[in-house]
Amino acid sequence: MASHLSIFVENKPGKLEKLTRILAENQINLKAFSLASVGEYGIVKIIVNDIDQAFEVLKKEQITVSKRRILIATVPDQPGGLHRLLTVLSANQINIQDCYGFVIENRKEAAIVIEVEKYPLAEEILRREEIGIMADEDLGKI
Amino acid sequence: MYWEKEWETISREKLTAYQFQFLNQTIARAAANSEFYKKFNLKPVNSLRDFEEFPFTTKQDLRDHFPYGFLTLGLEQIVRLHSSSGTTGNPTVVFHTKEDIDSWANLVARCMYMTGMRRGDIFQNTMGYGLFTGGLGFHYGAEKLGALTIPTGPGNSKRQIWFMQQFGTTVVHILPSYALHLYTVFNELNLDPKTDLKLRIAFIGSEPHSEEMRKQIEKLYGIKAFNSYGLSEVCGPGVAFECPEQAGMHIWEDHFYIEIIDPRTGRVLPEGEEGELVLTTLRREAMPLLRYRTGDLTRILPDACSCGRTHRRIDRIKGRADDMLIINGVNTFPIQIEQTMMRIPGVGNNYSIEIRKENYMDKMYIQVEFDRDVFEGTLEELTNLQNRVAEELKSELVISPVVRIVEPGSLPVSEGKAKRVHDLREKV
Repeated sequence: MASHLSIFVENKPGKLEKLTRILAENQINLKAFSLASVGEYGIVKIIVNDIDQAFEVLKKEQITVSKRRILIATVPDQPGGLHRLLTVLSANQINIQDCYGFVIENRKEAAIVIEVEKYPLAEEILRREEIGIMADEDLGKI
Repeated sequence: MYWEKEWETISREKLTAYQFQFLNQTIARAAANSEFYKKFNLKPVNSLRDFEEFPFTTKQDLRDHFPYGFLTLGLEQIVRLHSSSGTTGNPTVVFHTKEDIDSWANLVARCMYMTGMRRGDIFQNTMGYGLFTGGLGFHYGAEKLGALTIPTGPGNSKRQIWFMQQFGTTVVHILPSYALHLYTVFNELNLDPKTDLKLRIAFIGSEPHSEEMRKQIEKLYGIKAFNSYGLSEVCGPGVAFECPEQAGMHIWEDHFYIEIIDPRTGRVLPEGEEGELVLTTLRREAMPLLRYRTGDLTRILPDACSCGRTHRRIDRIKGRADDMLIINGVNTFPIQIEQTMMRIPGVGNNYSIEIRKENYMDKMYIQVEFDRDVFEGTLEELTNLQNRVAEELKSELVISPVVRIVEPGSLPVSEGKAKRVHDLREKV
């Protein structure tokens, strides 16, 4: 099972910088992130090498943070890689609530982070279609 | 269970007889010796009803007759003065004889005892000492009761917590807004007041707060919180207090004669109707006040209380007559806004209200913190919460503020009385 951290950030100078500073000072490696904003505030989602450690240090620094379950699918880093994944999900009526991606190894493998409503089902479908899935432990190794 | 059973459970009939007797003594003393009351040529009354014809005394009168205009005794009989801040003009100054201080301490002890505080309790007083009556008033009351009293005074949250832990504080006197702020400091220190303290009672007062806020404090700390009412003009804290029923505050009618008036007409309202509380001191020596307009809006709860005390109860203070906000012609009290917001799950502990004039219209801006413990990490939950707050305020109070959700801990917290309302409209 995999998860990312979802963090509340006010849309003001220095707010994101504080976040990256805490991560840097604690030797936490940021693998990927996404940001969605509604103007005055937004939510930053991050993938890190050690999610439990990151969660603890951010909480200690009074950052509003929550751990959320996700699926990390691995796809070939080539044209059509993401398309195949989305085709499988849409064919099975799985709605994607949030999605972002990062490259694991250039031209070889990329990771797609997705938030869905039906986790056990979505995971089962990916396994059936032989699409790779990463867990929290795998993130420390890449 | 009573500090002074004979007074607290006295029959209404006897209480009225005593009130009548004390009232006439007070009138006689004021009329004969106070420079202010002398000019009215006041005579003892034949019935309590006749008293309704007496003139009111206002805060402005106290200011205009600064400093000695209300004194009925020479300064050699006076042992202390308290004063409230004078932001405009003279401050109000209130004098006390030795007997006044003793009788005030006794009233505070009566309040504390009523809530279950006993000798053997450890009492920490986080209220300001000095000219403000909240600190010394409770301090003397606690000592009178016989409890070990820790006069920490306000501020320095970590030191407050250190004292609570080291000495096993069981009872605390604290501003409600500060209690909520202090809880976040407990969190920072990785402490849980429910399990890491021996606290069981809090006295909360000095600023109007809602029932929702009381419940929040009780839940966070795992304690009982009792509402307290008082004003420095008639002594300080100890005028009215909640009993274990927590349904209104018993106002000590053997020391104060109470009336509720229509703030506009000055007419005395029937029992149960909401209006401005007017107090007459019945036992004060140095500076008796007749029909003093407190500015506080409340009502008398008409039914008898099951705790057995016969002194009537007043409702939670709704606000001060001069706190009322008029937003495009609609009357609202900040406390109602607080009440409405704090009922909504997901709303945090702090908020601020700002009112500006835009295109000749009043516009209200509310910033409210969300509750970090229920944050799930989506944008939707935050925008939903923001919309819900706006909708509830609109449907309950007929106001349409611009609501903005902000991060817990981002709004300023003062360690004194919280200033949450900022009216930036130009005064006409």
